[in-house]
Amino acid sequence: MDIPLFGDTLFVPTDVMAAWVFTILMAIPIGLFILKKKKVGLIFDYVKTTNHRKIGTLYILFGIVYFFRAGVDALFIRAQLAFPNNDFWVFQGEKYNEVFTTHGTLMIFFVAMPLLLGLMNVVVPLQIGARDLAFPFLNAVGFWLFFAGSVFFNVSFFINMTPEIGWTGYAPLSTEQFTPGAGTDFYVFGLQISGLGTIFTALNLIVTIIRHRAPGMKMTRMPLFAWATLITSLLIIIAFSVLAIALYLLMFDRQFGTGFFSGSEGDPVFWQHLFWIFGHPEVYILALPAFGVFSDIISTFSKKVIFGYPIMVISIALIGFLGFMVWAHHMFTVGLGPMANTFFAITTMAIAVPTGIKVFNWLFTIRGGVVRFTTPMLFALGFIPSFVMGGVTGVMLSVSAANFQFHDTHFVVAHFHYVIIASTIFGIFAGLYYWYPKITGFVLGEKLGRWHFWTFLIGFHLTFFPMHITGLEGVPRRVYTYTEADGIFLLNFTSTIGAFLMGISMLFLVWNVYKTHTNGKKVGNDPWDGRTLEWYVPSPAPVQTFDPMPIVKEIDPLWYTKLENRSLRTTTSTRPAPIETESFIPISMAMALFLLSLGLTFSLYWLAIVGGIGVLGLFIVRSFTDEREHVYGKEDSYE
Amino acid sequence: MNDYESALFKDKQIGFLIYLGAEAIMFTVLFATYLIFTPAEQGPHPTEVFKAVSVILSSFFLLSSSGTLIAAEKGLAKNNQRKFITWFAITLLFAMIFLGLEIHEFYTFVSDGYGISVNVFMSSFYVLVGLHAAHVAFGIGWMIVLFIHYMRKIPMSLFREKHKIFSYYWHFVDVIWVVIILLVYLPYLL
Repeated sequence: MDIPLFGDTLFVPTDVMAAWVFTILMAIPIGLFILKKKKVGLIFDYVKTTNHRKIGTLYILFGIVYFFRAGVDALFIRAQLAFPNNDFWVFQGEKYNEVFTTHGTLMIFFVAMPLLLGLMNVVVPLQIGARDLAFPFLNAVGFWLFFAGSVFFNVSFFINMTPEIGWTGYAPLSTEQFTPGAGTDFYVFGLQISGLGTIFTALNLIVTIIRHRAPGMKMTRMPLFAWATLITSLLIIIAFSVLAIALYLLMFDRQFGTGFFSGSEGDPVFWQHLFWIFGHPEVYILALPAFGVFSDIISTFSKKVIFGYPIMVISIALIGFLGFMVWAHHMFTVGLGPMANTFFAITTMAIAVPTGIKVFNWLFTIRGGVVRFTTPMLFALGFIPSFVMGGVTGVMLSVSAANFQFHDTHFVVAHFHYVIIASTIFGIFAGLYYWYPKITGFVLGEKLGRWHFWTFLIGFHLTFFPMHITGLEGVPRRVYTYTEADGIFLLNFTSTIGAFLMGISMLFLVWNVYKTHTNGKKVGNDPWDGRTLEWYVPSPAPVQTFDPMPIVKEIDPLWYTKLENRSLRTTTSTRPAPIETESFIPISMAMALFLLSLGLTFSLYWLAIVGGIGVLGLFIVRSFTDEREHVYGKEDSYE
Repeated sequence: MNDYESALFKDKQIGFLIYLGAEAIMFTVLFATYLIFTPAEQGPHPTEVFKAVSVILSSFFLLSSSGTLIAAEKGLAKNNQRKFITWFAITLLFAMIFLGLEIHEFYTFVSDGYGISVNVFMSSFYVLVGLHAAHVAFGIGWMIVLFIHYMRKIPMSLFREKHKIFSYYWHFVDVIWVVIILLVYLPYLL
């Protein structure tokens, strides 16, 4: 659409126009609602908070918002692919590249990551008897960095500069020569800022789990979600550090004239190595927390202690460890040679072993249990067969010789959606339904929950099962159309129906949340008849938890007190809690980094310098407003 | 330090060491980048770019600044104000001299025509050694802030804690420099 502007005409694609109109139309009622209900104070409260439950809530809130945006992207993709030689709206060629890039990048970095980190933030301290994360201030910094990075990435769409390089950002396409526009820079800096925040949050979670457990809560008595969080956080520290440097090098290639990934001396395959050394562990960073969620949920709703607890922990650790030795299975067709391909094929197949052990242990936990088919449990039960299907195609893909046929086809698309949706997304939904009372004090409606589950499950299989077949027929991914002669119309049309069914299922979730908050009744501490410590504290979890502190004697401590009709022993002598504080510094730091990135993206170096000085200045401000200054004793003197 | 403070300090110690672990991984990737791309097929060879004098001189100042920082810490432990201030100031001075030498080295390279985009060896050199230099610069700022805290007389136990965390950072930056000497400079100076 051409818009006249100061005598010039400005070309704005209609999808960007639609995004503006939609955003403004949404912003007005939301703004009015906030003013009418006098919620401005509440917003400020959340902006300056360092409380783990509130920060977790913020993570989840924005994760859901981006889930809808990335979901709408997916619907555009499926609408474009619904018919042969289709021209849906503007999504052909470059626009199609943009839409699958934002779909992938958002879903991985700005949907799955924040939703998982949000659940960890809310739940892990409650599960292990910690009063907060070890470093509450750093936790807020981590969240706001994620927020700034995600906003930076999303802003690109509104100014029609969306990245179009795929979520993997493969060089040389991502270098300046082939994508000279600002789009790729939005990808680089958006990921860099939010990745930094993720590293901080992971570090925080590790220290919390190592140092802040309740008395008697040995590592071997922790719920499996806490274990999964610990190992996931270790993976994040390693993997996201590699990504940080990969993006740092790409930034130099794009901004400062180096040539690491292109040109006569640079090596595009080096980017692939760096990206997948990050990217493959990232897959487990997404899956392991979901495994933890399912372990807790299956145990609770089967009324049985988890089967084979030690082996469950070992298999999580083993998956995490092997996860770093398989990255080149994304690069079988690059030509690394038969030795490398064989090595990575074997390590990849090996991962199926600990994963398989986990699947059997879940089944054995259910066996002989008193199973309650609540919504979280339905998602857990839906997860097992769906995920196993993804696992089986994963083993197929790991056969490096066969991989030459599967590579970059819809078969791969089917595979990774089967594993990631079945584990991460089902896990997130299960976790949200399960822990919703700890976040808000309400239990989400069961009837709408079941509608959500069944429509989502059916839609999911309808969408992705046909892609196995089209993929084996040779349909390449990231291509925006096909011809009638390809004979894949019906399969694609089925996929599109399934995708829209998944879209509709999300409306059930929205309706459910709305109904629960208007008609729902607050529940007590323990609505699910739970087993672990989070059900010992009130719903929603108060700012001051565990006062007095429970003493833990076994796995599932709460369950055994209920069974033996006693109450948990408590103590008042505990290790010092992290110091709660309220501060605008975290959000300001994130905004300064936002300006710095904006400056570098558009070569406005003065803006970059302002942003840089802002960040460093805020470090100093932080140092001089250290909350510990007032808490620390004065018994040591300077003389 | 009382029990309360030492528990919080222990949290911070572990947290900061994990952070340094993340940084170590970042530097490892940059070292790998350097090793992969050096020497480059065309353009300047490391032997014609590096000058032993500048490396030895800057190494002297940076490596001994780790020792002077330990001396400052000893002064702090004994509540010997003069000893602490003297050694701390020397550490700061050495760090500044190192940074000055580093800037001078980069300046000479660039004015000799060995800029960042000359070839892939120079690129990987600058992104690695430049990031290290940025760490030294950050450390200088940190030292100045620490010194102001000392003058403001924040609670002594808090100051000890802040100083300890800084010393981990500073020794880490030194270790990275040692690896830079071993992997970046030494193979082409011998």
